[in-house]
Amino acid sequence: MNIKIKSPISTAIAIGVGIVVLAGYFIPSMNDIRFILLRTGLVLSAVALLVGIINLLTVHIKKLGAENANSGYSLILVIALLVTLVVGIIDMVQTYLVGQPNFQMTNWVFTYIQMPIETSLLAVTTVSLIYAAASILRKRMDVFSITFFFVILLVLLGSFSIPPATLPFLHVIRDWILRVPALGGARGLLLGIALGTITTGIRILLGTDRPYSD
Amino acid sequence: MSATGFTGIVVFVLFMGLMIFFSIINKDREENNVRPIPGYDKINQEINVAVEDGTQLHISLGRGGITGPESAAALAGLSLLKQVIEKSSVCDHPPVVSTGNAVISILAQDTIRGSSKAISVGDQRRNPSGELIGVTPFSYAAGALTTIRNDNVSANIHTGWFGNEITWLTTAGERQSSSTIAGTVQLPAQAVIYASASDPLIGEELFAGGAYLGAGKMHQASISTQDIIRWIIIVIILGSVVLNILGIDSFIEDILAGSM
Repeated sequence: MNIKIKSPISTAIAIGVGIVVLAGYFIPSMNDIRFILLRTGLVLSAVALLVGIINLLTVHIKKLGAENANSGYSLILVIALLVTLVVGIIDMVQTYLVGQPNFQMTNWVFTYIQMPIETSLLAVTTVSLIYAAASILRKRMDVFSITFFFVILLVLLGSFSIPPATLPFLHVIRDWILRVPALGGARGLLLGIALGTITTGIRILLGTDRPYSD
Repeated sequence: MSATGFTGIVVFVLFMGLMIFFSIINKDREENNVRPIPGYDKINQEINVAVEDGTQLHISLGRGGITGPESAAALAGLSLLKQVIEKSSVCDHPPVVSTGNAVISILAQDTIRGSSKAISVGDQRRNPSGELIGVTPFSYAAGALTTIRNDNVSANIHTGWFGNEITWLTTAGERQSSSTIAGTVQLPAQAVIYASASDPLIGEELFAGGAYLGAGKMHQASISTQDIIRWIIIVIILGSVVLNILGIDSFIEDILAGSM
């Protein structure tokens, strides 16, 4: 059965829920309704995660085949996902029905597989960041990029802590950069982002932006 | 109601009033008087390139959901997605869309379906995907690399909630010699974007996409409203400095403490 909620109804629900949640921040008596709606939203997010994972699995099962050059990666993803799912189900049964210690196998998967992979990827990110900083002048040779490049160098030079490499005046320059222009610029950017956030939210509340089909 | 709650309502009403006011007075105005942002000029340019060359765009919407502080960035990304899909409707290959959050993935698919229907792109095989490719920062970045390395992708647009892992995406785009337009609300990631993306969107530029891609008068009104409020904030900051210098800042502190 294909249920289609007409646009005006879904728009009215989105606007109504948005207004009630927003009012809950300002009017204490509406706090309870706000929390009920937010909890409902969190439950729906969890359901959406399940839908997203099923979608991910479906897409990669479709990609399996000789004609796809990346089908090997898709196969690894499908196997890893199913194995982790089975491990999680076995752990749930053992924890809640048999009464064994909490999620031992799942913890093992996270500690000895997920965490080392993420940590090594973080190390690769460091290399990638250095490459990006080093190549900025090749991309854009303008006064802002040159300033950006030399500020990076100054802050790095001012960050040494072993005595032969430390230069007192560089510590002072580094501290000044971090406390004055960097902090001031960051606050200016945050104020701009806050203004953009508010106007984006109001467009959703007014129904002019609708991140759902018409 | 507390002083904070009252202030919040006043700010909200002020924003909404100004946005409605500017959308009404700009109703009949055709020209779009906004300062040029190279990133959005590049998006328009890349859409034309994709149409002429038969290539496709990759739009990644980041890992932001809709229940946290990252929601505005994610919603701004969805708004931009809608505009890009509508503008690229005549492309041989529709944009590829990737996300790192399940809710945004569903909303992206819904936006794609709605926009495709509105522009009469009925063939489901032509419709862009909007798939969830990973839920942790690095799994998302690693998954998006496959799409970026696709030879048929001519440009990558990253808008939404990204951390430092965005350097993977921007660097991969550079290696493929494809344009990279990127914007996020996380400050450390903005520094990364500035260094590594060909066309960075800094600060609130991420939220201005609608005004630059022709999403309607309300988006232009949002820009005008932000400018007015920005002037008010500047006056308040300068006024506070003057009051501080004159030694009569306790009045402001009393207001901020809600003890007026």
